[in-house]
Amino acid sequence: MKEELNKILESAKSEINKTGSIHELQQLKSRFIGKKSGLMSFMKQISSLPKEERPAFGQLVNETKQKITNIILNCEAEIKESDYKKTLKSEFIDLTMPGRKHEKGSLHPITLVWREIEDIFLSMGFDVAEGPDVEDEFHNFDALNTPPDHPARNLSDTFYIENDVLLRAQTSTVQVRVMEKHKPPIKIISPGRCYRNENDASHSPAFHQVEALVVDEGVTFADLRDILNIFLKKMFSENISSRFRPHFFPFTEPSAEIDIICVNCLGKGCNICKGSGWLEMGGAGMVDPNVFDMLEIDSEKYTGYAFGLGIDRIAMLKFKIPDMRMLFANDVRFLKQF
Amino acid sequence: MRISYNWLKQYIDINLNSKELEEKLTFSGIEVESIEKIGEELKHIIIGKIVEKTSHPQADKLSICRVDDGTDIKQVICGAPNCAKNQKIAFAPVGSKLGEFKIKKVKLRGEESYGMICSEQELGISDNHDGIMILPDDAPLGKGLASYLNLEDTSFELEITPNRPDLLGIIGVARDLSALLKLPLNLPKISLKSGKKKIEEALALENEASELCSRYVARMIEGVTICESPAWLKKRLLAVGLRPINNVVDITNFVMMEYGHPLHAFDYQNLDGKKIIVRRAKNEEKIPALDEETYTLEQPDLIIADASKPIAIAGIIGGVNSHITSQTTDIVLEAANFNYANIRRISRKLKISTDSSYRFERNLSDETAEIISKRAAQLILEIAGGTLLQGTLDSFPNPQKTNIVTLRPSRVEKLLTIKEDDKTLISYLEGLELRLQKQEKDKLYFEIPFFRKDLTREIDLIEEIIRLHGYNNVETFHKSQNIMNKRSFYARRKLQDILVSSGFSEVINWSFADPKDLDSLNIPESDERRNVAKIKNPLGNDFAIMRSTLLPGIFKNTILNIYHGQKELKLFELNKVFFRKDEKLATEKYNLTGLLTGNLNPIFWKEKPKEIDFYDVKGIVEELLTSLDLVDVDYVTSKENYFQPGSGANIIFRKNCIGNFGKLDPKIAQTYSLEQTIFIFELSIDDIFSLQEKRYPTYKSIAKFPPVLRDLSFVISKEFMLKDIKNIIFKTNPKIIKNVVLFDEFISNKIKEGYRSLTFSLVFSSETKTLTDEFINNLLKTIIANLEKSCNIEMR
Ligand SMILES: [Zn+2]
Repeated sequence: MKEELNKILESAKSEINKTGSIHELQQLKSRFIGKKSGLMSFMKQISSLPKEERPAFGQLVNETKQKITNIILNCEAEIKESDYKKTLKSEFIDLTMPGRKHEKGSLHPITLVWREIEDIFLSMGFDVAEGPDVEDEFHNFDALNTPPDHPARNLSDTFYIENDVLLRAQTSTVQVRVMEKHKPPIKIISPGRCYRNENDASHSPAFHQVEALVVDEGVTFADLRDILNIFLKKMFSENISSRFRPHFFPFTEPSAEIDIICVNCLGKGCNICKGSGWLEMGGAGMVDPNVFDMLEIDSEKYTGYAFGLGIDRIAMLKFKIPDMRMLFANDVRFLKQF
Repeated sequence: MRISYNWLKQYIDINLNSKELEEKLTFSGIEVESIEKIGEELKHIIIGKIVEKTSHPQADKLSICRVDDGTDIKQVICGAPNCAKNQKIAFAPVGSKLGEFKIKKVKLRGEESYGMICSEQELGISDNHDGIMILPDDAPLGKGLASYLNLEDTSFELEITPNRPDLLGIIGVARDLSALLKLPLNLPKISLKSGKKKIEEALALENEASELCSRYVARMIEGVTICESPAWLKKRLLAVGLRPINNVVDITNFVMMEYGHPLHAFDYQNLDGKKIIVRRAKNEEKIPALDEETYTLEQPDLIIADASKPIAIAGIIGGVNSHITSQTTDIVLEAANFNYANIRRISRKLKISTDSSYRFERNLSDETAEIISKRAAQLILEIAGGTLLQGTLDSFPNPQKTNIVTLRPSRVEKLLTIKEDDKTLISYLEGLELRLQKQEKDKLYFEIPFFRKDLTREIDLIEEIIRLHGYNNVETFHKSQNIMNKRSFYARRKLQDILVSSGFSEVINWSFADPKDLDSLNIPESDERRNVAKIKNPLGNDFAIMRSTLLPGIFKNTILNIYHGQKELKLFELNKVFFRKDEKLATEKYNLTGLLTGNLNPIFWKEKPKEIDFYDVKGIVEELLTSLDLVDVDYVTSKENYFQPGSGANIIFRKNCIGNFGKLDPKIAQTYSLEQTIFIFELSIDDIFSLQEKRYPTYKSIAKFPPVLRDLSFVISKEFMLKDIKNIIFKTNPKIIKNVVLFDEFISNKIKEGYRSLTFSLVFSSETKTLTDEFINNLLKTIIANLEKSCNIEMR
């Protein structure tokens, strides 16, 4: 009996050591120690033995099984090790070859700046309001305190669809629409597209502006300067601040033009600021009481400020884009830079 | 801390139900953790009468009683020595409960017992277990015990914030409520009569650690009788979760619960040297405490001692060597104040937490010690008798001056926007026993009562004012605007971002268009896009109208870029289009238009370049629609004339066309001089928003059983669209078939003309069981049979 077991062990040893694949090894495992293996059928003979011989017999069979298991485990480890070494040899990597790329898309630089403006003002509790591009004279002129004989109403400055219908010349129209619908407090910006009948190197017939309007009790000129400076610092850098030059807009009183320290030279003077150290950025002022009266807002109780800035201009300054026309040419060699 | 409604009512005449009281407390800053009805647990215990008593034939100590419960006579076996005929007793009938113990019918030594005659301990009324509780003869038979004994009350478990030690007593809570409800606070009236003997003749006090014991007041009463407390006192203590012990100890606990300041009573006869010494412990000094543990002390610990031994761990626990027992006749009453940090340290170190340490840890006031000493003495004289010795021994080395805090009414308004006149502000604070000392213009000087050490600055007074005014009674100004269309705002950003991450570059074109552009796109005269806004004074003919589609602009961008050698293009524009027919102004809508041409991906050395095809554009459209929560979308052949016939699709959502996509007809491409294959899509975003609200996902439970996957492959006529095939499969068993994924389409000359081979991967799973092979095989057979019947498929 012992001999028979030894025979099984020897044949298992030689066959297992011959194999080189894990798959074959699995088959050998079931052949030698599986449920239907010779060894296991040998075990069944135990019932025919006298009782006192059974434990010794069982132990012997189990020992043999254990030995074969160990051979299989050793063999498995060897095969895996050699497979692993083969892998190392075959998987040659040239670290300098390019990786699989996903094509890089891009947002338009105007959109990038537009979003940044929105996010800065949203973080300061402003809402973003929208209004139509195709407007009537009331919202574009009358409600903004622009008299009928004002030169701005001239055909040569404004695109008209009909006598009373035009393409808005500024996003201040949205201020009017918001004040028509909502009672103060109001705290909005309205970014959007505006149109003016001109087309040259520095003027585009369609351009983008953002207007801010704040109306509440106790809103002051100091708030206006404060918010504007916070915005400029967040948009450009800590070094940038603004100065106001007295000016005229029909819908604000007092009115001012906004200059900011040149973002290119920080005030030292360069070709972008034409040596002055300052850049013109837009207009601002306290909402004219006439505008409130026209919209039935109590101009004694409420005060407000408004300002408007050019989004395209901010984009050009921010990304150092030299020519406004590049913004609307949509050359992907330009677009993909952003 | 636990308080009881009835006890609270002793100091303030409130008339609120427990819900209302809870709310008042909560909004004045005292959180109610739980409310408990007291007497509830004795609901089924009734007053009975023993009408007959005989001895148990089998047991000497037991007797057989016949108890009248008001409706019936029951046999009850009782073991108490004091039970006798004609007694009124507390009877627990079968089915009632005593704590967790349920009364059942039992047999005791062969005799049946239908209920139980209870002792005070069993009823939770006292520790007395010497015998059954005997009630007065006039106790009404059959009535509930709890209501007869007036045990019905409501207790409130309060969470007291650490800054308010004054609320650790019921009077403190009553004081806050009196300020809040503007009701008078009824403090106990205290008057004391003492005998001739002076305390100094009997006792000496030495405070050797005044830095840890800022005050110690000792009083003495001789000749007291220690016994059980009267019912009213026991009831009060039980209601707040304290166990009655004896009259003197109960009184110290009662006064602690009243004023929030603990006291202790010593047995005078056990004080060696007739001395009270407040001192630090010696190392290794031991004290056997009332909790039956012996604690070993060390040098920094503070103890109360007599001439030879420690008699209490100061402010934490008394010693068993000097406590009040039934033999006690002369008592020393301690009312003191200890350094809170030291109490906390010792209590942590020795792991002892008592009602006393809990309070001393929170920085009590020195002045209260004097008051509670009087109050406790008064009650002891009333209840336990005896004679009060004249005077007190009082160690109070550093009495503190009363604090004055200035309040500016203008500051109250500035911080809280509460506009109240000075009179109202003063009345709020006077309700809390702050005393107005002086009044100047916009300056109110308040003297702070000793029990409110937490009020030291103006801002503390302002907090009290708003607490009494009510946080939620402060008027708010509606500042929210709701002007913004947040959904459209963020959805537009999302669409842009998806396209950018898929390799698209955004273009921005002017809003002007050439009327001829619409002709080039073969847009019919009747089409909505022909209703354009014409500009009266345009820059030129090619800028004469407002655009009604974004396609011409993006075509021009494509031409320019290809001209510059950029042949792989993915462009999009998200912008307004304009329609004008009868409207005064114009209808303005946001459109999203995209264009794809050239190879799908940048050149990659490992793979062959793949040209963009129909399914690439469909893929991006599907992704955009999914991001807008659109799922049930249909695709039908587009009638747009600018698509190559058969290669354009309209997107249908709820019967509305919300956009289209497909391959630009090469004939039209040529008119733009575009030689490359161009794919385009255009979506009307505003139309989508008007058709569907923003949807938020709601959680669905995740499948517990693993899914089973099977492939299915067959040849089918091209007349059947994928959507219909999938429907047939799903319908076979919609509960089990979770997904049908197209795996492969195969068309070749080996398959007959007009047919294609499709391979699907099917996903099965069940919410309730693991699916067996047999079940899946049968299901597959049914699916195949259904497909054969409807589409005449051939299996591969
Ligand atoms: Zn400059």
